[in-house]
Amino acid sequence: MARKKLSAGMRKRLQRGFAVLALLLLVAAIAVVAVLDRRVTAQFEGRRWTLPARVYAQPIDLYAGQQLSAKRFADELERLGYLAAAKPDRPGTYRQLGNQVNVFVREFRFADGLQPARSLRLGFAGESIAGIEDARGAEVPVVRLDPLLIGSIFPMHGEDRIVVAPHEVPPLLPEALKAVEDRAFETHHGVNPLAILRALFVNVRAGQVEQGGSTLTQQLVKSYFLDNRRTLRRKAEEAVMAVILESRFEKADIMNAYINEIWLGQDGNRAVHGFGLASQFYFGKPLAELGLHEVALLVAIARGPSYYNPRRHPERALERRNLVLRVLVDQDVVSDEDAARAAKKPLGVAESGTKGGSFYPAFLDLVRRQLRRDYEESDLTEVGLTVFSTLDPLLQQKAEAALEGELERLDASGREAAKDLEGVVVVTTPQTGEVAAVVGGRRASFAGFNRALDARRPIGSLAKPIVYLAALETGRYTPVSFLADEPVDLKLPSGDRWKPQNFDKQLRGQVTLVRALTQSLNLPTVRLGLDVGLDDVARTFEDLGLEERPAELPSMLLGATNLSPLEVAQMYNTLANGGFRSQLRAVRAVVNEGGEALKAPELAVAEAASPEAVYTLERMMIEVMERGTGRAAKRQLPAGLVVAGKTGTSNDYRDSWFAGFSGSHLVVAWVGHDDNSPTGLTGTTGGLAVWSRLMGSIVTSSFEPMLPEDLEHRWVDYFSGLETSPYCDGSAVSLPFRVGTLLEPNPACPPGTEEGLFDLGSPEANPAGEPAPDSGFP
Amino acid sequence: MSRLISLALLLALAGCSIAPFKTGSPSSTTAGARSTGTGSAPVLTTPTDVQQPAPEQVIEAPAPAQIPKERPRTPAATLSPASRALVSQAQAQRKKGDLPGATVSLERALRIEPNNPLLWIEMGRLRMDQRNYPQAENMGRKALAMAVGDDVSQASAWQLIGDSYKARGKNPQAEAAYEKSRALVPR
Repeated sequence: MARKKLSAGMRKRLQRGFAVLALLLLVAAIAVVAVLDRRVTAQFEGRRWTLPARVYAQPIDLYAGQQLSAKRFADELERLGYLAAAKPDRPGTYRQLGNQVNVFVREFRFADGLQPARSLRLGFAGESIAGIEDARGAEVPVVRLDPLLIGSIFPMHGEDRIVVAPHEVPPLLPEALKAVEDRAFETHHGVNPLAILRALFVNVRAGQVEQGGSTLTQQLVKSYFLDNRRTLRRKAEEAVMAVILESRFEKADIMNAYINEIWLGQDGNRAVHGFGLASQFYFGKPLAELGLHEVALLVAIARGPSYYNPRRHPERALERRNLVLRVLVDQDVVSDEDAARAAKKPLGVAESGTKGGSFYPAFLDLVRRQLRRDYEESDLTEVGLTVFSTLDPLLQQKAEAALEGELERLDASGREAAKDLEGVVVVTTPQTGEVAAVVGGRRASFAGFNRALDARRPIGSLAKPIVYLAALETGRYTPVSFLADEPVDLKLPSGDRWKPQNFDKQLRGQVTLVRALTQSLNLPTVRLGLDVGLDDVARTFEDLGLEERPAELPSMLLGATNLSPLEVAQMYNTLANGGFRSQLRAVRAVVNEGGEALKAPELAVAEAASPEAVYTLERMMIEVMERGTGRAAKRQLPAGLVVAGKTGTSNDYRDSWFAGFSGSHLVVAWVGHDDNSPTGLTGTTGGLAVWSRLMGSIVTSSFEPMLPEDLEHRWVDYFSGLETSPYCDGSAVSLPFRVGTLLEPNPACPPGTEEGLFDLGSPEANPAGEPAPDSGFP
Repeated sequence: MSRLISLALLLALAGCSIAPFKTGSPSSTTAGARSTGTGSAPVLTTPTDVQQPAPEQVIEAPAPAQIPKERPRTPAATLSPASRALVSQAQAQRKKGDLPGATVSLERALRIEPNNPLLWIEMGRLRMDQRNYPQAENMGRKALAMAVGDDVSQASAWQLIGDSYKARGKNPQAEAAYEKSRALVPR
């Protein structure tokens, strides 16, 4: 009895206990679900707000008369991922037929609005565009190609992605994902117990994990929280969150989130997320334009981006892609014939360095730094800005090739000091002050120390044009003013003595200004600089665009100042731009997700020096290339191309510089060792060699500055400075002087009358510009 | 004004038949070609990046009696079809108040013809709209530097510079700039 009573009491208590426990469990479960709900819902809804800024290269403007051959245009289209097609009837396709190219240009949202997709016909005449017509035969005066995506500004070790809207996704992709990863996607409620059981069975039989039973929804949740621990608790949480997502959101939204979320590759620190970016990263074109074989490859990669990395393990990736294709046939997603045709195609993955991806770290670093003046880091990495940059991908490629080619040549030269050199190239377009290319080292796609911006090295003789400009600005000098090429012995404020020498240790007595600059003579330059005044010279550095005024020491006159290649480019850009300073820009425009233009560096100009002084200096810098330290460049440049520039070599041959310009490009090249050890190279053998290899490989125009009204050209003797006839044994040079300047005539070869000059005929009739033997000229 | 343009055109045509400047170094014949200029003789060249005059303008050439002997003249700059299209696009954008859009269009034109003074003047007009008067003036000065011998372009550059002074309340400087403009192209 007592037992019965007891057990009855026990039962009651047990029942109550169970009830309480059940209640507690329920409450706990609800709490857990609520917490998970909050986490996963916030993640799902908030996800679209963390978008790195996308950076585009400059678009190519097409117009009649532009210097662009049909072949080069087709190359550009290939670079942009356009597909050669028999009938270019959809965006992203083209057809070249001899001198005609038909192209269906993609739609693109530029900073000033949407340019719709359109079909165009371009006619070419030799090296230029003859005309552009639209589909109805109407003339198109000017049109842009969609620009190359060159990278994103993502947080360090961060995720990068391009979010695509459902209409930008080829319909094949979700179908393929369902067929391969989650056949019951349309019907399940987040988890698929049958698939889990099947996976378990397969895995137990195989003794290893061969098949995952996760639904797409579970994979999405897993990706949200980036946790690869395969604990049971983790799995359970994921399953619960998957069910929650399914109950709260539509299937289509979940599919779109999956397509934008999932990890599909790695590029250094940068994690490639979503099929939109993966399409650019692997194929260099928009997702919407992918063919069956390409979609299948991305679906294959989704299973294991490292294991099936198509660049590192092409065979493995190909095998998996073809397996995906077979599954698509089995599931009636595609026809047998289509799959068989796709299986025959190569992987089609773009080589790194030509398309997509982040292959311009030095340039992107500059973009990022310029944007940091106006934007918070989080604006750049999270709110989906579009950045229109100034990068010219073709120029960048040529600049990389020029540097690499020249450094390899030096490696093979057998000179120990010239091995394993590093180098930098910066290219700008002087009139607009845009940075067109930045190469930060011989392995240009390697992100590391950005020499172009951060390596500050002595500029050597690159300082000389600035000293001469300061001198010309005083109005006290002409190109034939005499300077003494005699020893200099200075007592410095520190008490040390400074006794600079000429490069060849020779002394020449009295030399003309033009000769001193052209032959880069040190002693006359120091005398000139001291005469003008160190403060004037230092101010000229600033006027030309140097942010920090250099220390006013006499050694500054010979380039003891440490500057980065970009700072040199800023100053020389002002020289190349007729004395007008434009703050160098790597960014043209920034727009937000709504297409609204935001703050960006503006095109601005400021007169930094008198047009007369700048013109005179420019003419003397042309002589550097004609007869001075830069003349070695001639061999690599097209005949008749007029360029101006200056070599620079620092003490003990540690730095080899060249800075020079044509009418449309300024190029600064530096070659040296990272540890600052001697290279054995002068500015001519290192920097100039890189410079001329690049200048000789690009389409560029002659440097033809406008003669200011107060100046006139006169023929003078390079050595004696006497006014002379143009035909005096090669030492006559045409230089600008203020109108009416008194010049002493050369008694041995006096200047001819102007009437006589005109009788000699045009240069067309006498292309070499040499006197006809029977001209009868004195 | 049109008389002056035609005069410049006539001079330019005459200039084509005169031998351009010659330089000493055999390979640098182009170096001096554009920068010809002597004090006494009307040596003229046609810059390669300046458009040839439209044929209909040539017909009304006036008597060459008033050739200004002291300075070489070049034909008034004109726009290439591509930049003309971009400039009218920019003007339409300015009219709508879309100044960022106008900036994009004008910069495109400038990349096509960076040496055309008309485009720098147009850029200066845009800076006026943006109330960036110092830059409006600077654009005018840049235009002046590349419009040597082109009275028409120089006159509009001075007009722009005058406007930028006026907007900043610098009336004496504005008047001086307008005076320069009028001296080049009387109106």
